[in-house]
Amino acid sequence: MSRGAILFAFNSTKYDYYAMAEYTAKRINHFLDMPVTVVTDKNSISKKSKYKFDKVIIIDPDKTNMRDQAIWINKGRYQAYELSPYKETILLDVDYMVNSDRILKTFDITEDFCCHDKTSFYMHPGVPQELLSAYSYNTLWATVVTFRKTKRAKQIFECLEMVQKNYDHYAAIHSFVSGVYRNDYALTLALRIVNGHTLLPGDIIPWNLLHVGKNTSVYANSDKKWNTEYTVMFDNWQKGKIRKEYITIKDTDFHVMNKDVFVDLIK
Amino acid sequence: MDTKTLITESKARFSHNSAKAYLQEKYSSKLLVAEQGGLWKADAVTINILSSFTTKKLVLIDTFNNPVEVDRKELLNKLKDIYVSATSEYYAEWKELEAKR
Repeated sequence: MSRGAILFAFNSTKYDYYAMAEYTAKRINHFLDMPVTVVTDKNSISKKSKYKFDKVIIIDPDKTNMRDQAIWINKGRYQAYELSPYKETILLDVDYMVNSDRILKTFDITEDFCCHDKTSFYMHPGVPQELLSAYSYNTLWATVVTFRKTKRAKQIFECLEMVQKNYDHYAAIHSFVSGVYRNDYALTLALRIVNGHTLLPGDIIPWNLLHVGKNTSVYANSDKKWNTEYTVMFDNWQKGKIRKEYITIKDTDFHVMNKDVFVDLIK
Repeated sequence: MDTKTLITESKARFSHNSAKAYLQEKYSSKLLVAEQGGLWKADAVTINILSSFTTKKLVLIDTFNNPVEVDRKELLNKLKDIYVSATSEYYAEWKELEAKR
């Protein structure tokens, strides 16, 4: 049974997503011992790079999404099902820091498809879960998705495509802002539609996705290639002053929400 | 600049609450295991119920709320191993954390 990871990486004017994908791919190779396929476009591929992905798939991306007045290519994630050369696939965001083999456990918990439905933020214990809007669903997260090439997984990705193409309509129904397309929101709706507007426990990764959120930075504790120890530092604003707080973490995967922090980390 | 210098120079304080929450997250997932067609948490409740029976087979409700017939002793041994290894690691990291108090 072939098993691998797939990453989507399209450079923007501000960030080199292909470089991020390379960094993450190397860690996937090392910690998960699996090949990595990258889905990218001609403009993003680095000619200087020596790293060899298992497969490089070049597509013509949908550039209709905007964030911070710049093009943000994050549409088209539904193509992961068709483009993945593997029977069992982990679809990851390129800014997910792999520090352990924990994601491999997701293959044991699902027949078809699974993703996170709960998150925790380092330095912000107890932050409420994100909702699509005040009266809508809890957000599911597209950061880590594990799927097999089954009929049901295909349906979920086809539904994701349908939601993406009708995003404004779903935004109106669920009262969220449609200006910026979010894979998390589209996935939330797609999975619920396929499941008859409910959630199945087997589709949910039974631990929380760990985020490094706002006002939080991460620093590697060593220069070693496969370092897994980090200092997480938080600017705690109190009475107009910043009080810096920190913790040390090790052997734990995390998702960096602020791309600048991730870029600094992989330098 | 290494992280120790960074912490000293920025006068950062160690956050026990955040570290405690992080450890809880980390080790809670380490207690999970897929075995015999179900997903189990190697916690006190599951280990206790498996220990309190003597039959070879037992029907248990897994973490997905599905009833699963299991080989009781085999699952018990597996969960005990996982419990001991995860909580030992947890304890070691917890002691490091306490030392920073």
